[in-house]
Amino acid sequence: MLKKARKERLVWLDIMITLLTLELMSYFYYGLRSVFLAGICVLTGFAAELVSVRLMKRKFTADDMTCTSDALILALMFPAVMDYHISVIAVLFAIIVAKNIFGGRINMIFSPAAAAYVFVLTSWERQLLQYTEPHVKTGLFETPANLVKSASYVFDHTGSFSHTDFEVLLGNFSGPAGAVSILLLAVAAVILMMRRSISAGAFLGTIFGTGLFAVITPIVSSRADSLKYSLVTNMVLFSAIYIVSDLRIAPRRDYYAFFYGLFIGVISYVLVLTGAKENAIVIVSVLFTPVALGFRHLEKQIDTAAQEHASEVTEAANANAAAAGEEAVSDD
Amino acid sequence: MTDRKKALFGGVLGDNIVLSGLMVISPVIICGDTLKNAEALIYAFSAITFLSVLISSFVPKKLPYTAKVIIYALISALVYIPVKLAAREFYPESIERIGIYYPLLAVNSLIVFQTEAKFFRMKKGDMIVSLLSCIIGFDIVMLLTGFLRELFAYGTINSRIVDVNTLIGGLSQPFGGFIFLGLMCGVYRFIRGLVSRNSNNDVRSDADVSDK
Amino acid sequence: MFLINDLIALLAANLILSQALGTSTIFIAAGSRKNLIGTAGVITVFTTIGAAAAYLIDLLLQPSVADLRLLFYTIVIGALYVALLAAVYRFANRWFEELRRYIHVSAFNCAVMGTLFTINSRASMDGTMFNLGGYVSAGLEAGIGFIIAALILTAAYRKLNSSKVPASFRGFPAMLVYLGIISMAVYSLK
Repeated sequence: MLKKARKERLVWLDIMITLLTLELMSYFYYGLRSVFLAGICVLTGFAAELVSVRLMKRKFTADDMTCTSDALILALMFPAVMDYHISVIAVLFAIIVAKNIFGGRINMIFSPAAAAYVFVLTSWERQLLQYTEPHVKTGLFETPANLVKSASYVFDHTGSFSHTDFEVLLGNFSGPAGAVSILLLAVAAVILMMRRSISAGAFLGTIFGTGLFAVITPIVSSRADSLKYSLVTNMVLFSAIYIVSDLRIAPRRDYYAFFYGLFIGVISYVLVLTGAKENAIVIVSVLFTPVALGFRHLEKQIDTAAQEHASEVTEAANANAAAAGEEAVSDD
Repeated sequence: MTDRKKALFGGVLGDNIVLSGLMVISPVIICGDTLKNAEALIYAFSAITFLSVLISSFVPKKLPYTAKVIIYALISALVYIPVKLAAREFYPESIERIGIYYPLLAVNSLIVFQTEAKFFRMKKGDMIVSLLSCIIGFDIVMLLTGFLRELFAYGTINSRIVDVNTLIGGLSQPFGGFIFLGLMCGVYRFIRGLVSRNSNNDVRSDADVSDK
Repeated sequence: MFLINDLIALLAANLILSQALGTSTIFIAAGSRKNLIGTAGVITVFTTIGAAAAYLIDLLLQPSVADLRLLFYTIVIGALYVALLAAVYRFANRWFEELRRYIHVSAFNCAVMGTLFTINSRASMDGTMFNLGGYVSAGLEAGIGFIIAALILTAAYRKLNSSKVPASFRGFPAMLVYLGIISMAVYSLK
């Protein structure tokens, strides 16, 4: 019991470190406003979790700090100039409605950040999907001006992506504050997989599914470009790491997780291809919640059956040993 | 005496048909996004349910269950006609707003099932009181839902603009209705648990499936 | 690829997720595999055959007496209710006691009645749908939609009724919020 709790805290720590590096990059591009936004989200998440845990008559432990990582993930999915009121409501939705109503971190059903993102998408689509250009710094309480559509939107609708590979790697294109720094995200993915802080199966499945269909049915004429841009746009990489591969949600066994991620990747790519649906992967990950729950239930049944079989074998072995012992005694 | 009071007046708060019994929730979820819709639904539900159950109480008890259920449904389908004609006269816009949920009120489970399970086991006088308290319970939930959803989704109260800082557009949609009603049920149970003397919070759900 | 878009369209038109029809019934259906098969199967039979009968009613009913539509639909569902009970008693007597429950629950139900009215309103807006095939396929689609929604709820049923869920939200409140979030995701795809 103690070992499992410790591991959960380490996972949270790993995730937070990678998120903070993304936040640092966001500060570089968008200034103090993005940090302030992240700070508000994290504080709101923390307060909401504290109150919820107390209402559930549980003790607030270090493991409950996962609320801060959920809040930070959500902040990084927003434009850096997102309205503070909307951000607070979104975080409250994530922590209270999408998580603690179902029992909190000990009974996770939805990815809180994904559910809250979809909530904001359906209620405040215009504010969510408009961004400032990189290096445009907005004051803390200033009304943002000259908002633009994301590079993903332009790519989905026109098939053109007018940024160099260098800009793509460093995240120098318009989009959600934390989802554009591709190099950082790639490094984070590798580190988190090596430290087993995310589901490697789910991550690889998502990337493979998206990539495979990007090559088979390309969005643009060049298959290589289709593969490249499909993975760097529409929050695919970010969601693959922090939402689809969330250890609390994804199936535990890697081969189940791989297929879970594969289907999410494929379906979200198809939605982008046929309907130009921006950031479809987040929506699909919420829709695939019943599938993840189904896989987990199957895994539990397999584990139970395996345990029963093992105990039967042990009992049979003990019975044989006892019988052999008795025979030996009677021979003597 | 307390048990009798509970049986008669429980429908208002203690055993609310929507929040506790989860009956007639479709109109609350879909149409309960404005106060005007709520008022139209309250009128339709109250009139149809009261008249249908009252008339159905004269159906002979000795008939088979299946026959009785069909007769109750036919009675409420007939009661629906004059109720709708009156609505067309006094609230013509409400019919278009509520759409298919108007006729669906006539086959709500309070009329079709609860009549047999609860009302017709009581004396006539008690039945009327209990029925009225169930209807008032629905009306309260409908008003509250319509008021809050309209306020936070549209920033209006009964179509009059009110100064609300941030509007939540999703509250006006069906999914907003689901989530809002779920939260309302949870809060209702929480308050009921605090208020009631025994600590048992169980209602209709087969709760407490323990995980291993 | 277009199969995925068809599936999304099916979910978007789902009775429960977009119209909240039959929500109480689905909570019963999600309780166990037996309930799921029984309830969803019977509802599908009612919606499919009921839709066929609804077509005949809509064909014959004059617009001036449109208010009688509910009455005729009720008569049809009542007849179907009795016919189904009789058929099960005659041909599947062994399972009559079990199936009877599902038939009682499914007959006069918002899911069934709502399907008939929804089909009628769609047919009045889209003339190409106003034929027997269109009505029956819409009824079958509604039944399949109910099955899908029931499966979605069944996947989370144990977790939603777990002792780890706060007592105030355990069971139906949590199920409503869960369906709401799934419905929200479907809505955002439209």
